[in-house]
Amino acid sequence: MEQYDGKDILDIMHEDLQRALKKPRKERRWAMAIDLKKCIGCHACTTGCMSENLTPPDIHYRPVKEEEIGEFPNTGMRFLPRPCMQCDAPTCTPVCPVTATYKRDDGIVMIDYEKCIGCRYCLVACAYGARSADVGRYFSGDFHDKTYEVENSGEYGKSYKRKSHWHSPIGNARKCHFCIHRIEKGELTRCTTTCLGQATFFGDINDPRALITRLISRPNVFRYREELGTKPMVYYIT
Amino acid sequence: MQLFGVLVPEKEQLVATLIDVAKGRAGFSLYASLFGLLIGFYAIATIFILGHGHTTNTSNLVPWGLQISTYVYFALLSTGCTFVNFFGHVFFEKQYKPFASRIIFVGIVTAVAAFFSLATEMGHVERMYNYLLSPNPKSPMFWMAIWYTTYLIVITWEYINIQTNRHSNRVMWGAFFVAIFTHSTLGSLLGSVSSRVYYYSALMPIYFLFIAFLTGCSLTTIIAAMTVKQKKLDANYHLHPFVTLLKVGLGLALLITFWRLMIGLSAHLEGSEVFSLTLINSVWFGIVVVIIIPYILLKIGKSANWLIFVGLFIMGTQLKARNDLVIGAFKIPLFRVYDMPEVVHYSPSIYEYLVVVASASLVTVLYIVFERSGVFEARNIKEDH
Repeated sequence: MEQYDGKDILDIMHEDLQRALKKPRKERRWAMAIDLKKCIGCHACTTGCMSENLTPPDIHYRPVKEEEIGEFPNTGMRFLPRPCMQCDAPTCTPVCPVTATYKRDDGIVMIDYEKCIGCRYCLVACAYGARSADVGRYFSGDFHDKTYEVENSGEYGKSYKRKSHWHSPIGNARKCHFCIHRIEKGELTRCTTTCLGQATFFGDINDPRALITRLISRPNVFRYREELGTKPMVYYIT
Repeated sequence: MQLFGVLVPEKEQLVATLIDVAKGRAGFSLYASLFGLLIGFYAIATIFILGHGHTTNTSNLVPWGLQISTYVYFALLSTGCTFVNFFGHVFFEKQYKPFASRIIFVGIVTAVAAFFSLATEMGHVERMYNYLLSPNPKSPMFWMAIWYTTYLIVITWEYINIQTNRHSNRVMWGAFFVAIFTHSTLGSLLGSVSSRVYYYSALMPIYFLFIAFLTGCSLTTIIAAMTVKQKKLDANYHLHPFVTLLKVGLGLALLITFWRLMIGLSAHLEGSEVFSLTLINSVWFGIVVVIIIPYILLKIGKSANWLIFVGLFIMGTQLKARNDLVIGAFKIPLFRVYDMPEVVHYSPSIYEYLVVVASASLVTVLYIVFERSGVFEARNIKEDH
């Protein structure tokens, strides 16, 4: 178990989180850091996220890209997990015609499921392909027993059951929201806690004492497709 | 203002049409269109009842499919009708006059048909009221809705003016400029998406206007040629403006298509490989079949029947060209993971095809019913008296 200052990193991040939650919301800035050297491509974050948010087939809030690098015999594998980047200058929010998607003052890009008209313009506009359309498919197909799949996912701290295509979130755009329903209860994001290699870090980068703030201030950090000017809030450590 | 007999058919005429339909005397075109409307509405009802997951082939990789391309296609047809109405009135007044009410009427119904198709693609069309409750002025889609509503109001006003013999140049100019704003905004809706290199271009709003002009010219040429045949008008005299406008439309389409392709090919951005990937289709279909062949066809003949054929040829090829444009942006996935293909292929489902049939049939049925009832002749009758 990796330790910082003699403590387990999950304990440190948990303490960071409790400290952040004591501040007013607008003074927090949630961000994520992923250590690519530690990512083993196990997809535990992907499956953890799916069970947390009860996402249907073809919707992955946090897929992991697998790439073969180099030429034989000097080859290797590289893994790149991709949550929503919660961009500071997002391309998805300005295009929404009804302000159903917007950036909250703590940095999280939200979707108001009750407002979303399902036009999918945000899917087209997102520079990272991080948004999906819930068209109402189920893992169980047309099998009548969908008990698990129609359960309340608790996303955004609200009650959404996938009862029919007239009920949100079916018909809506969906994406990673840094498990906002967990954060506000003082729990870390699901992908952070399920990461086998403890490669995922989460916290408030406005807090200079937070572990994530210390990690992203190192020189071996980059942000995915930063050249687009989207100012992503997910940092990759190499 | 008289509604029945001037703006819409007389009640007796509508009843007579219904009786003709019931007795098998309505003609092949009306029966075919009614059948199209029936199966189209069946498909739309199925999409709403079963949901997109069971009826359409759009996905996270291809979020916009045939229904959106059909929306774009019909919206451009409508704009084109308004453009032709404007240029017809300004440059070819006498030659154009017999077709004015027909063309602006088709402009209205194609705009409505476009919305039909759009509505079937939306996840929650019943929440459209949020445009009023929670508008986002930063969004091109919000402005498109505002302009689209304004456009419908102005062209309906233009139709009323034409039908009541109170044609106003101010309203005509207004309709022309509102059409430009509306459909260049539609172009900006795609052109402003920086994450999709295939769309992202300042040329896109102008591209939409030029293509609108071409497709509008082809549809209005068909309407004019059919009217010339039906009313036994002088084909050479009355169809000449439409041939001229069609040639201008083809020239403008060639110009904008060529430069959009060249600029796209010269890009070295992530996703710009789609331009070279689709190069053969873009040159062969997008330029040779869609623009060069219609131009050669126009040089071959000028008879009413031939012009109907050329018009139908352009309209058919333009529908595929609009689909190629909308779908093209999704060919290369933005973030390729798991079993995603390197190049995404999309084939519309039968329900998506039937939405196209529904939109086309709606336009045809309304046009035939209005034509049969003599509404478009009302103003000529009044003038004769």
